[in-house]
Amino acid sequence: MNFEYLCRPLEHRMSRRQWLGGVAGAAVGALGLGGLAQPAVAQELKKKHRQVLFIWLDGGISQLESWDPKPNTQFGGPFRAIPTSVPGIHISELLPKTARQMHHLALVRSLCTKDNSHSAGVARIQRGDPKNRGVTYPYFGSAVAKLLGPGDSGLPPYVWVKPGSGGFVYQDAGFLGPRYGAVAFGDGKPPENLLLNPALTEADDEARNALRMKLDRRYAERRRKEWTEANSYVFDMAAQLRKQARLFDPSTLPPRDVERYGTHEFGRHMLLARRLLEAGVTFVKVNSYGWDTHGDNFNGHLSMVPKVDQAFAAMIEDLKDRGMLDNVLVIMMSEFGRTPRINGHVGRDHWPEAWSLVMAGCGLKRGVVVGKTNERGTHVTTEEHDIGHMFHTWFQALGINPKEHSYDNGGQPLPIAHEDCHAVTELLA
Amino acid sequence: MSDDPKALLQRYQPKEVKVLKTDRQMAILRFSPCGNFLAAGGCDATVRRWDVSNAEMAELPPLTGHGGWVQALAFSPPPLTLLPQAGERGGSSSPSPPEGERGRGEGRLFTADSWGRLTCWPYAEKEAQPLWSVEQAHDGWVRGLAVSPDGKLLATCGMDQKVRLWSADDGAKKQELAGHNEDIYAVAFHPDGKSLVSGDLKGVIQVWDLESGKVVRRFDAKQLYLLSRLQDVGGVRCLAFDAKGETLAAAGTKPKVGANVQGVPTILFFDWSSGQVKHTLSIGNDGDGYIFDLHLHPAGFVMAVTSGNPGVGKLFFQRPADPQPFFLYTKMANCHSLAVHPNGQRLAVSATNANSNGNGRQIGKGTEYPGNYSPIHVFDLPTAG
Repeated sequence: MNFEYLCRPLEHRMSRRQWLGGVAGAAVGALGLGGLAQPAVAQELKKKHRQVLFIWLDGGISQLESWDPKPNTQFGGPFRAIPTSVPGIHISELLPKTARQMHHLALVRSLCTKDNSHSAGVARIQRGDPKNRGVTYPYFGSAVAKLLGPGDSGLPPYVWVKPGSGGFVYQDAGFLGPRYGAVAFGDGKPPENLLLNPALTEADDEARNALRMKLDRRYAERRRKEWTEANSYVFDMAAQLRKQARLFDPSTLPPRDVERYGTHEFGRHMLLARRLLEAGVTFVKVNSYGWDTHGDNFNGHLSMVPKVDQAFAAMIEDLKDRGMLDNVLVIMMSEFGRTPRINGHVGRDHWPEAWSLVMAGCGLKRGVVVGKTNERGTHVTTEEHDIGHMFHTWFQALGINPKEHSYDNGGQPLPIAHEDCHAVTELLA
Repeated sequence: MSDDPKALLQRYQPKEVKVLKTDRQMAILRFSPCGNFLAAGGCDATVRRWDVSNAEMAELPPLTGHGGWVQALAFSPPPLTLLPQAGERGGSSSPSPPEGERGRGEGRLFTADSWGRLTCWPYAEKEAQPLWSVEQAHDGWVRGLAVSPDGKLLATCGMDQKVRLWSADDGAKKQELAGHNEDIYAVAFHPDGKSLVSGDLKGVIQVWDLESGKVVRRFDAKQLYLLSRLQDVGGVRCLAFDAKGETLAAAGTKPKVGANVQGVPTILFFDWSSGQVKHTLSIGNDGDGYIFDLHLHPAGFVMAVTSGNPGVGKLFFQRPADPQPFFLYTKMANCHSLAVHPNGQRLAVSATNANSNGNGRQIGKGTEYPGNYSPIHVFDLPTAG
């Protein structure tokens, strides 16, 4: 059978050899840093390939209770705005620690996107809302895994730290094929049964794997290559993760870091994300759920935003201290913002018309705000930016020119970002 | 009083007589002790007032100078001449102290906002200006405000996890009560004036001895709290004593989930002497949300309002031990506050306009993006005893 329609440019293929070869280097990054990086290590990290930390606040954080406060206006809510480390830039009082890191950050207050439902919005935003060409586009994590590759870490290029269950989320990869899916660590824990059962010896395990590979080859003969590759990839991945199980051992974390990031779920997951970035994972996604605050929005944000503030500010501080902010692109966002209008349940509903996100790191200007909303926060008064603009910007920041790069979907060239959009140059360094 | 719910209904069934219009959402509503004014704290940093001494119920100029939301509001205790007479139905749930012990706070309205400001107003003056104001009474959101029975002290609480006592006369800080580890939502003075209670986000109610400033007891209202993912949900949203000080009501929701918060409106009735829950009153289902305000009627029932999913609100009267309310009104959306007139024959409810929610841009109503507002429903209760 001819499966040449599959996209498999050689420069981005991740072989088993590459995977295995990266392990030694990864161990240094993963385990040797606890506390502040030494200059030599920081230099070493600088040489690493570019990485992404993508923080997804699922359900929709309110821009008015975070990055674009409108105090004392009709829809401004109860909270105050506070100054930041950048004169003239104010954010919500719920983000005091992040306010002190503002000189490292870039805010976008001009997002105007299309979907106001979660079901469409989450996928559309994370796929970059490309034009419909009859294919399913990859999520940003899969796209980056494909375009930047796994680096030399030996770890999966796209890792997802999330509450709840984990597993291999191949659906994120879309037409790229399951190999570019996300390895999800449910509740920040490694996959179940990762460690070798004590009843088995290494020799037993090797014999078992040899048998599996033999059966895999037979199975693969009459099946689509991307599926069989993904199958063996999962086993390779498990073998490598097993060697780095300490990444998931909370007892090896410095207590001061645990305190700085917070002992809550988001803090724990962000601290794991830092370890994974240190270990060289190309794309780390951290999810937080529960942001769909249709009811009791203000108490909800009062409870949740400070926890995000704590861990996010600690992350920015650490990436900066380790010299990693030059290589790691940090993005924190949701599928949309929340309505200026406050409903009877004292909540805010979905609002894609005018919302915000925050970024930091490689390829970006620091201490800037792009875009502006009107006095009531209802609409963007400067150029509106759709998610396609953000994809262009992010790829540019990572050193990938979306105007020059395209996917090769079995001979079908597909743009990596919406061709009607462009990078927001005011954000690019 | 008859135990028959039908008789109670006949005696206390309210009849809507007027709806006062507002252009913004109102968080709290109270009648002045003289009965001539109704005041509302707005989610627009203003305090609205109406002259309710006649059927017109004209609005007075708003009181300005606050920031954020005005969610805490209380009047000084009533002058003796306006107190209900012995045996008279209704009146304030806080008894008045003996003559001679009355503070100088009569005729005053105290308001506090989400930016931390506490202000005292001569509320009856048309163009009232603050008598005094404390800009940073709390660091941020002041959630609760109560006036002592003798009118001399104010108690406030807020998101800075502090309870503070102030001189009602001049706003001087008298005492700080530290001991909560969470946002504090509500405070109430015991009618004897010797104790203060405060309730927090995680359902801890602390009883403070005012003389020593120490916590002397804790009541457990943890069923009003839930950790849902990252979100602390619920809390003791309101506290109220009965007139004799024998029962403390603590209310909020029995939370099921955060984000689009779902929970059953719930009131816990504590026996003051033992600190134990005597009765638990829950009404409705998970979509009914919170008890946002309540009043313990001298006749032994609770008057309360609820707000849940958009469009869902209740006004109900129920005795704590009864399985059902003897009066239930569901035609108002999202009721956020309830005020009872000092004569007990009128009440007002701050509700929400219809169709208050919706995702995305509103279509077909022009280019102006609409906000929501609070219609204030005024009810009269039967006058026959």
